[in-house]
Amino acid sequence: MSAHQDGGPPTAGRGAGDRAPALEIRRMTVSYGARPVLWDVDASFPAGRLSAIVGPNGAGKSTLLKAALGLIPADAGQTLVEGRPVGAARDRVAYVPQRDAVDWDFPITVREVVEMGRYAPTGWFRRVPRRDAALVDDCLERVGMGDFRGRQIGQLSGGQRQRVFIARALAQQAPLLLMDEPFSGVDARTEASILELLAALRDEGRSIVVVHHDLGTVRGAFDHALLLNVRAVAEGPVAEVVTRETLARAYGAGADAVGRDAGEALSWAG
Amino acid sequence: MGWLIDLLPLNYSDAVVAIGAALLGIAAGALGVFAVLRQRSLVGDALAHAALPGVCVAFLATGAKDATTLLVGAALAGLVGALLMVGIERTSRVRPDAAIGVVLSSFFSLGIVLLTHIASTNDANQAGLDTYLFGQAAGLLERDLDVMAVLAVVALAVVALAFRPLKTTLFDPAFAGAVGLPVRLLEIFMTMLLVVAVVIGLRTVGAILMVAMLVVPAVAARQLCNRLSLLIPLAALIGAAVGVAGALIAARAEVPTGPVIVLVGFAVVLATVLLAPGRGVLWRGRKLARDRRRALVEGVLVDLETTIHAGPPPTPRELALASGRPRRQVARALSALDRAGMLARDGERIHLTESGAAAAHAVLERRDLWSAWLEHGWKLRLPDAREPDPTDLRASLGDDCADELRRLALAGDGGGAAGDAGQGAR
Ligand SMILES: Nc1ncnc2c1ncn2[C@@H]1O[C@H](COP(=O)(O)OP(=O)(O)O)[C@@H](O)[C@H]1O
Ligand SMILES: [Mg+2]
Repeated sequence: MSAHQDGGPPTAGRGAGDRAPALEIRRMTVSYGARPVLWDVDASFPAGRLSAIVGPNGAGKSTLLKAALGLIPADAGQTLVEGRPVGAARDRVAYVPQRDAVDWDFPITVREVVEMGRYAPTGWFRRVPRRDAALVDDCLERVGMGDFRGRQIGQLSGGQRQRVFIARALAQQAPLLLMDEPFSGVDARTEASILELLAALRDEGRSIVVVHHDLGTVRGAFDHALLLNVRAVAEGPVAEVVTRETLARAYGAGADAVGRDAGEALSWAG
Repeated sequence: MGWLIDLLPLNYSDAVVAIGAALLGIAAGALGVFAVLRQRSLVGDALAHAALPGVCVAFLATGAKDATTLLVGAALAGLVGALLMVGIERTSRVRPDAAIGVVLSSFFSLGIVLLTHIASTNDANQAGLDTYLFGQAAGLLERDLDVMAVLAVVALAVVALAFRPLKTTLFDPAFAGAVGLPVRLLEIFMTMLLVVAVVIGLRTVGAILMVAMLVVPAVAARQLCNRLSLLIPLAALIGAAVGVAGALIAARAEVPTGPVIVLVGFAVVLATVLLAPGRGVLWRGRKLARDRRRALVEGVLVDLETTIHAGPPPTPRELALASGRPRRQVARALSALDRAGMLARDGERIHLTESGAAAAHAVLERRDLWSAWLEHGWKLRLPDAREPDPTDLRASLGDDCADELRRLALAGDGGGAAGDAGQGAR
C-alpha cells in the first residue's frame, strides 16, 4: 500500500484553484481495430467538483474512463490523478462500472459487494478489521440500503443496484469517484436522490466524474462538463459547454432540437 | 491413504474407488464453480478433451502406463489447449465459443487418432488407455490416490488463499482492474485450476464426460445457496456425493464409471432445479399460480362489492356478465370466497358478509394507495432505497409514507375530479 493508507476525502471548503485537477487526461487515443474511438482527447476535471462527461451513444465515454484507468490498452495518452500517474494512485480513485457490466445473478450479497471496496485498502489477504466492517455498514446506510444488506443482489431493483455500487465506491474512501452511466435505467425519483447524494459528497470535498446522458439534468446538477464525441468537443463550466452551438457540433444533424431546449433533449439518449 | 482405506466400512477395492471418486468430486465440484460462474463451462469441456492426446503422447514417449506419468501428459496438453483458446480469442476475431469448439474437436480428434495408432502397433500394454475415454474408477491404485489428494489439497488451498481476488475478478472484472488486480493473470489462473480438476478426474470419469463433474455440482449448489463462500464447499460436497455414488454403482454393475456418475449427477441437478426453495421451477410455478389466484379472487371480490353498491345483489351469472370475466373463473373465485366465509347466499343471489365487505375495502384501499403512489409518489422524499411493492405498499414503504400518500391523494382529489369532469364534457 502507498502512503495514502488513510485515504479519506480531503477536507471540505477549499476551492478548486488551490488543488491539482482531480483527473487529468492528456492526448488519449484509443482504437478498436482500425476504427478510432477516442482521438487526442484532453480533459481536466477540477478537484472538489461534480463533473459530467456527455456525448451521444458510442461517443467513447465508457472507453474514456476505462482507458484512463488502464483497463483497456490505449494507443497513446496519459492519465494523472491529483498530478500523479494513475498507476501510482489507484487508491485515490473509486470506479463505478456500468451496471450491466456484471452478472446480477452472481451468488453474492449486498454487504459482500460493498465489502469488496475495502479489500484493496486493507490488503487482499488480511482479515477485514472491525472498523472496516463498521465503515461498510455506514456506507450502506449512507445510500439508504441498510435494510437490504443480506439480500442477494439479483433481488434488487435497478436503482438499488446502483446504490450498492455507489456504496462500494464510498467504502473505498477515495477522493475521486468515476461513475459510468449511473442513471441509465433508473427511475426519475432514484436519479434525483442519487444526484443529491453526489452533491453532498462533492460538498464534503470529493471530486466526482459522471458519464451522463441526460442533458436536462446536466445543467442543473453539475459544475463542469466534457462534451465528447470521439474528440473532446468542448470542456469547461457547464453553462459554457452545454450551448446550442457546441451541442450541434457534438450531436451533428438533429442537434437543433437539442439546442432549442436541452431539457427535452432525450431523443438521442440510449 | 492407507488409514482412510482401513477406516471405511468397505472392502479394499471399493474403498479405493470411493476415495478416488470423492477426491475427484471435491476438486471438480469446487473448481468447476470458476467455470460456471464465468459462463465458461465449455472451457472445462475443451480442456478435458484436450487432455486425451496428452495421455497418448505421454504413453508413446515413455512407454509407461502408470497414471502419474500419463496425467503429466494430460496436464501439459490441457495447458496447451487453454493457451490456444485464449490466444485464438485474443489475436483474431473468433468468438470464445468458436475458439472452444475448434480446440475441443481438433485435440480430441488427435487423441482418437493416437489411440487407434497405439492400439494397432503396441502390445497388450496399451489396453488401459481407452479407459481415459469413458473413465474407469476400478483401475485406480492406492498411489494414484496420493497424487490426486496432493493436487486437490494444493488447488483448494490456493483458492482459499486467493479467495478475495478471485471473487472480485469473477464478479466484476472492471472493478478488479481499477483497484489494481492483475485481472488477465487471475483469469488464466482460474483456467489453470480447471486443468488441475480435469487431471484429477480424467482417469475416473473420462475425457468425454468430465465436463459434467465440473458443471453439475456448481449448478446444483447454486440452486441451494446465494453466497460464493458457501457455494464452493457445497459444490465440493455435492461433487463428492455424486462421484462416490456413481463410482460404486458403476463398479458393481461393471459399466464404465463416467456415464454412471453423469447420470447420478443429472438426477441431482434435476432435483435441485425442480425443487430448490426460492429458485426451483416447481416452487416458482406454485408461487405464480398462487399469485394469479389471489389476483382473481381479489378482482371478483371488488367486482362483487361494486355491483352490490350499485344495485341488488347479483347472481353469479350476472356478476360474470357485469365484470366481463369468464363464468368459470367467477365461480372458482366465489367458491374460494365462500370457503373463507366472505359470502352470504340468498337463494341464487350473493351478498358479502361483514368480513367479506372488510376484505373488499382493504383491497380497494390498497389499490387507491397504489394509484396515489403512481400519481404523488415523486413528492414523497423517501429517506432510503425502499421500493414500493404494488401488492402491499403499506408494508413496503412503511405507515408514515402510506399515510402521507393518502393525505396527498385526498388533497389532490379536487383537481383530479375537475380533470375527470373536463374529460367527460369533451
Ligand atoms: N470491445 C469493443 N470492441 C470493439 N468496439 C468497441 C468495443 N467497445 C466499444 N466499442 C465501440 O467503441 C465505440 C465507443 O464505445 P463506448 O465507449 O462504449 O461509447 P459510449 O459509452 O459513449 O456509449 C462504440 O462505437 C462501440 O461500438
Ligand atoms: Mg457507455
